[in-house]
This record gives sequence, structure tokens and C-alpha cells, in this order.
Amino acid sequence: MNNTLSADIVVIGAGICGALLARRLALAGHSVLMLESGPRVKRAELVERYRHSPFKSDFMAPYPYSEKAPHPTFTPEPNGYIEQAGPHPFAAQYIRMLGGTSWHWAAQMWRYLPSDFQTHTLYGVGKDWPLGYDELEPYYYEAEAITGVGGSPDTGSPRAKPFPMERVPASWFQQRVTERLAPQFKVIDDCTARNSRSFDGRPVCCGNNNCMPVCPIDAQYHGGIAAASAEQAGVQVVCEAVVYRIEHDAQGRITAVHYYDWNKTSHRVTGKTFVLAANAIESARLLLMSASSAYPTGLANRSDMVGRNLCDHPAIGVTFDMDEPVWPGRGPVSPCSIGQFRDGGFRSEHAPFRIDISNASQVAAVTKELIGEGVYGVKLEGAIRDRASRRVSIKNALEQLPDPDNRVTLGAGKDALGLPVPRIFWNIDDYVLKGTEQTRRRYDEIAAQLGATNIKHSKPGKFGNRQHITGTLSMGADPANSVTDPFGRAHDHPNLYMAGTGVMPTVGTVNVTLTAVALALRTADRIAQELSHG
Amino acid sequence: MVRPLTMFFTRLAVAALAALPVAALAADDAALVERGRYLAVAGDCAACHTAHGKAPFSGGVAIASPLGTIYSTNITPSATHGIGAYTLEQFGRALRAGVRADGSHLYPAMPYTAYAKVTDADTAALYAYFMQGVQAVDTAPPATSLPFPFNVRLSMGLWNGLFLDTRPFEPDPARSAKWNRGAYLAQGLAHCTTCHTPRNFLMAEKPGLYLQGASLGTWHAPDITPGKPGWDKETMAEYLRTGHARNGATAAGPMREAIDLSFSKMTPQDIAAIATYLDDLPAPPRATAPVAVAKIAAGDVAEMAGGVGEGERLYRNNCAACHQVDGDGLRGLPALRNHPMLRYPNADNISMAVLDGVWPEHGQDMPGFREELDDREVAAITNYVATTFGRSTVVMSPERVAVLRQGGEASPLLLLARVGMGLGVGVVCLLWWRRRRRVR
Repeated sequence: MNNTLSADIVVIGAGICGALLARRLALAGHSVLMLESGPRVKRAELVERYRHSPFKSDFMAPYPYSEKAPHPTFTPEPNGYIEQAGPHPFAAQYIRMLGGTSWHWAAQMWRYLPSDFQTHTLYGVGKDWPLGYDELEPYYYEAEAITGVGGSPDTGSPRAKPFPMERVPASWFQQRVTERLAPQFKVIDDCTARNSRSFDGRPVCCGNNNCMPVCPIDAQYHGGIAAASAEQAGVQVVCEAVVYRIEHDAQGRITAVHYYDWNKTSHRVTGKTFVLAANAIESARLLLMSASSAYPTGLANRSDMVGRNLCDHPAIGVTFDMDEPVWPGRGPVSPCSIGQFRDGGFRSEHAPFRIDISNASQVAAVTKELIGEGVYGVKLEGAIRDRASRRVSIKNALEQLPDPDNRVTLGAGKDALGLPVPRIFWNIDDYVLKGTEQTRRRYDEIAAQLGATNIKHSKPGKFGNRQHITGTLSMGADPANSVTDPFGRAHDHPNLYMAGTGVMPTVGTVNVTLTAVALALRTADRIAQELSHG
Repeated sequence: MVRPLTMFFTRLAVAALAALPVAALAADDAALVERGRYLAVAGDCAACHTAHGKAPFSGGVAIASPLGTIYSTNITPSATHGIGAYTLEQFGRALRAGVRADGSHLYPAMPYTAYAKVTDADTAALYAYFMQGVQAVDTAPPATSLPFPFNVRLSMGLWNGLFLDTRPFEPDPARSAKWNRGAYLAQGLAHCTTCHTPRNFLMAEKPGLYLQGASLGTWHAPDITPGKPGWDKETMAEYLRTGHARNGATAAGPMREAIDLSFSKMTPQDIAAIATYLDDLPAPPRATAPVAVAKIAAGDVAEMAGGVGEGERLYRNNCAACHQVDGDGLRGLPALRNHPMLRYPNADNISMAVLDGVWPEHGQDMPGFREELDDREVAAITNYVATTFGRSTVVMSPERVAVLRQGGEASPLLLLARVGMGLGVGVVCLLWWRRRRRVR
């Protein structure tokens, strides 16, 4: 065993939250070490890997997979890394690599609604957060300023300052859909960390529609940029360091973490403060794996809440062909949505939702469909052109309520380093089903208004994952039913903090990254404060 | 002889200006300030005197010179930190002779050798603008401190004696008004020669190679004399107005900045005049134009079979998302195939664009790859682009990329000056020793 590394603050996980937290603490003058289970890969290599992949519709194709730091993969066949124990499969996608999962995203950076922080008080469902919108507002802005966020001014989330970035201009697709759906449906700009002008040494978006699987020019922010900025601020990064155990003393203080390098040599890393920021599923897994005689059910788990309350946005989708060519595929892949069903008294009855209108190029999907229909030759080319120009694809971000039964536990299987794999139980309750019915009704209204033909709903009863994974490390005021305190500190371990989407008690109706980053920055301030008093 | 005649015209103009009644001048004050504003744009004063995010003309822009960093000064009308106390005459001396009000010399980072051509009338307009059209800012930019002996500004007096041509512009009556206007702007305020004429070892321009291309240490300022394939008056004017031209040219580096801040804001008439003048310059002999590179069939098969070299692989991974595998660009993203830059005598600008990117004020920019790519990789991409998309025979070496990455080579002048001084001191010592011997 090697026992050489040590720092004031040891951060486990180099995704967007861990990296921006680490950067902030390094800039405040602390020594910070960040451990990343996956490899370091350059953007250019990702572009190459995608070009070489035969699976162009698999947006995980560019990201390297290693059995040493495995994550779920789905092509050509699912690798079964996560054991599925529930009635609905939880098809999680995340990336174990320096920079983490936000390498592959559409840079959606939304604020929650103020009401999202207190659904129990207002609507008698879900959970209240241990902090309110106003408390997080300055951190929301800071996260937006670091990443360069622009968006619609009327999302329902009040702002003290205007967006730091102007919006990328609306594509023809967005303009037409917005006009055609008004006034019944109000289509608004999404909030995204995408450059409409050069910013922070990164260029303006050129609208080539490859936000996913990877922006080849860094016109959108991502965790790789966060990790690079952390290193620039002085954070020491060790990649291919798979943390498998968190060590504590008799008082419950964390003393060290142990990691395997990819040759399975074990290393022990000591520090004053530890931050677990290793994805909502993997972080829960690590706490459970770190069980000891003093903490037989895992660390930070006196409440038995670690891994529970797992939420995502269980999604349904629809595609159809509009009655005019609108040419999706020019501009960002995910530019606009309908926000009018995100809040209201109905939340006591059924799930609220946001309707996401995709602007991704439909050429591949349409081609596959036409070939399936037996269209070929000269006709095929014309038909692709016609349908791809009119195809609209829509999905929803619907709030699932936290349910302790939906949870991450340790599975029976082991990964290549001999560590137990995650096991997930995921169920869909009536609240979601009722909200889904509402969504589907709206889909039909939208389709009718756009003169749609060839309407195809996703399979009834099936729900896609949006990868907005929350709840497994829920923060709360009461140690009896939450994992961390309102600042992300483990109730059971005074020098263990957690960051990332796992600490978020509810999933809301928007992509979760901005809220997780804002919380991480707030946690960083708390740690800095603690250390200066210590 | 042309000269006496032009002198006559100049005198006539000055006499006319002097004859204007004072009241009329005062009434035209606003117009004069506006004219000065335009001339300041033509002179691109802001490029050096306005720092990013700072008040206009408050200085502090770090100008990398081969001798060290020179900081531009505050030229707002602040009496304490700017030029507010300057008289018109003092302003004119600074502008056209490189001498400050206190008598000390400016470094020729200030292109006063070109501004020497500016007329008295335009100098007065510029003065009016800087005194009345610019907000006074009472802040001091960082002081310039070049290494010895260049910190002795007096040395510039000697340099000026050798290289400064103080004669103002003289119109050539044998040429059109358009030509003369273009010549006046190009030689004077637009200071083309500052970058595009090669310099001798004392950093002075070589008159015999006027505008025939020079290296700025990093970016290469190409030959802009006429007769180059793909360039004519109209193409040049289009390029100056927009930074793009029908021959595929795209501006980058300091020229991009000059277009954004200056040329794009000048009148079409002035741009056309400059193009007319440039089109009439003496040019070096030209080799026959190489045959254009034909459209490249760029598939995946060779790559999938492992048949592409390092340069091509790096190009595909880093550049092709915008410039496309076949180098033809896409929807306004520039084509590289047959780009005029590929006919330059060196490949520095390809490597510079790869290292630092291209950042126009408006529109699509290109990221730099300084952090992502090492010297060998930048050289490999440069050579791939130069030989695949053009007929270039120049070769970029990793060593040259390393130099470009650092901002160019340090001037041999520093070494020469110090060796020179060392020799000088040696001579003095020798003389002193001989004298002592003689005394004994």
C-alpha cells in the first residue's frame, strides 16, 4: 500500500460539481487533491472515438469504458453493470472520466422554481428542502457566471441580476414552432451554458448541432472545462484512482480514503476534510461499501437514507411530422421548451412537467424509419429530405416524488476490481402516471396544432431516463431522515461533505446540474469557513 | 520635378487653413471633433491605447516587442495622467516625431514614423477630438521598463536621426485624387508599413522592400504589393472592409484586430482609395501561380484502415468539425483548401491560428489549441494543412512552434547592443590603460 498523498481537502470525483468546488477552495488558498476513478481523455480523442464508432446514435460512444471504473453502457448490448431489482429498469447513463458526465449533455442550466423547494408545505407532496430559493440565489448566479448561462427571462425563477450570457439566436425550427404554438403554448428559450459570443477563451456556438455527444469546439461549458480550471487553480488531480473505502476514527471523523489504481495497487490518502462528489449512484455505493463495525450499514447512514429516494425525470416522448418544413438540426440540439405546466395547485394531484422540444437533426432517425418502411433508391433520398425537414421530437421532464423504496443498494455482482456493483430498485407511482397522462394530452394538442401526421408516442407504460439523478444523498435538517445537513455535510461525520445531484432532495422539472453546482459552491464556502475557524 | 509643385500645393493648403476666421473654426468645432474621431479610427489608436474592458484611450495595453513589454500610455485629456496639458504643437510632435511634451522620446511601438505623414489639418482634427471628444481618465497605466540600454530613451533620438522621415505627405499631382487619398492614408494613419515592411537589425523598415511582407515575430504580415494571384483592387477592398474576401482570405491575428477596430469602420471611399494605392505599388517579380488544389475526396475508409498519418489524424480530430475533412469549410466556416495563407513564404500563420485561435469582434471565432496540442502536434497539423489544402513547400518544425508559442524570438538587438557596449567599455578601458602607461 502506498501512503504518500495528503491534502487539506480531498475531493472524490472530478465532475462539474467536484471540480468547481475544488477550484473554489484552491483559489481560497487551500491544498486540494481531487481523485477521479476514470481516465484523462482529451476532447480531440473523444471526437475521434465518436467518428470511429459504428453506433452514431449512441451518445456514450465517444466516452471510454474501462472495466476498472465501469459505468453502464447500452450498445451493442447493455452491459448490465447496474443490477435491476425493480419493476422499471433505471437505465442510468454516466461517465467515469475526468470532467464526468457533463461532457455529454446539452448544457441545460436551469434554476428550480421557488416552489420546488417546498412542495410539502405548498402542495402536501414530496419534501421541503432545508433551504429556500432566496438562499441559493446568489450561488445560482455565480454558477451561471462561471459557466456562461443565458436563457429566457420568464422561467418563473426570479433573478437578482440578468443572465451573464445572451441567448444563442433562435433557429428557424424554434421560431416556427414558437409561432405556431402560440398563444395556447408558450415556447421559451432554454437556459443553457452555451456561448452566443466568445467567452472565457471559448468560441461562439456555430450551430452545427453536435452538442451531444460532444461539442467539438467547447462552445458549451462542460465538466472537462471545470476540471481544467481546477487544475489551473492549483488542484492536484489523480486519475484512474478508484476510491473503494472511506476510513474513519473512533469519533466518526474521516481520516483517509483508500483507492485502487488501475493495477489494483491500493493507496491511502489523508486529509482534513473530505468531499464525496462521485455521482449520485456511485457516491451512495461508496458510502455503503465503506461499512465498518462501527457503521455496519455504511457511512453517513444512521438514518438508513443513503441510496434511497432515488429520482429521475421518468420521460415519455412523441415524434410526428409537422405540416411545413422547419429543418430541425441547425443550432443547438435542445433550444426551447414549454414551462407552463411546471407549477400550480395541480401539484397536489399529479406530477408537474416541462415539455422539451428537441432541435436535434432527425436525419438518422428518419432514414432508419424509411428503410424500415421499404423505401429505397431515388425515392429514399427525397423522402429523407422531406421527413427530416418536418420531423418534430418532444419529451418531458416530469417530477417524480422522492420515495424511500426507490433506492441504490449493493448488488451481488462484483466489478473487475472486486467491488460490489450497484443494484437499483425503481418504481413509478400514481403521481407520475397521472402527470404522464396530462403530458400525453398536451402532446396530442401540440401535434394537432402543428398539423402533424405520422404521430408516434413512446410505448405506454415505459419510461425513459433523463439522467437527472437525485435524492440518494438527500440533504435535510433532521438527521433521522436525511444524509447530509443543509450544507452537504454528513450528519454522522463532521469532516465529510457531499456534492453533486445526489444531495438534492427533489428532482423538480428541470435539468439538475445548475442547482447541484450552486449547492457545491455553497458547500465550498462552508468548508473554507470551517477550515479558517479550525 | 514633382517636388516643388507639391510643396506649393501644401503651402497653399496651409495658407488657406490659416486664413480661416477664428469664429468659423469655433462654429465648426463639433465637425472638427467628428473628423478627428474618424481619423483616430483610421489611425487605429484604440488598438494600442484602449485596453480590453477599460475606458477608451486610458492606455495600459501591453505591447510585446522583441525588446520587452511596452505599455501604451493614457492619451485621454486628463491633465494629470493623460495629454490634457498638451498644446496642439506638443500633440503634433508626439504624433509625428515621437517626442513627448517633456521632451523625452517615445518608442517606435508608437508608429510615429508613419504618422509623420499626417497633415497639419488632420493633426488639428485629431487634437480637437482627443481634447474634446474623449472622456478624461485620471489613471496611470503601468510604466514601461525595457532592459538596458533601451531604457535610456535618449537612444531613440539617435535612432530617429537615422530612420525618421519627418517630411509630411506630399500629394502626387500626376496621380488621381483617389490614389493620393489612398497613399496618404496607407502611408500615414493606416500605418500599413509598420507591420508589412521588413525591418533591419536596428528595427527600422527597409525602404527597398516596402510592404513586401515581414514577420512580426509570431504572425506573418504578408506581402501586400500587387500581382499576387487571387488579389485585385476589389478583393483587397472587400478584405479590408470585412476580413473576408472572395479569394478565400480570412483575417486573423493583428490584421483581424485592425479590420475590426479600424478598416471596417472607414468609409467605402477611403477603403477603395487604399486598395487603389496598394494596387499600384512596385512589386517583386512573381513566380507563376501554382495550380489550385482540386476538390478532395475525403472518406472514412483510409482512416478506419489505419491509413492516415499523424497530421491528418490530428486535423480530423481537432479541425474537421468546422473546416471539414475535405478542407472546404461549411456554412461560413472558412475553407482551407487554396486559402491565400497557404501561399505565404512561411507557415507561421497556420501555426499561430492553431495556437491562439482567431477572435473577430463579431461572428464566428476559432478556439486556440495552445493547451490541447504540443509543439510537435501543432507542427504536424500545420504541415498537413499546408501541403494537403495548398501547394506549400514550406515546412513547420516543432522548434519553430515552440518559438511562436513563446511569442517569437527575442531581438538580437539586445545582444548586439550589450556586446557593443561591452566592446565600447573595453575600448575606453584600453585607452585609459594606455594613457596611464604614457603618463608613467
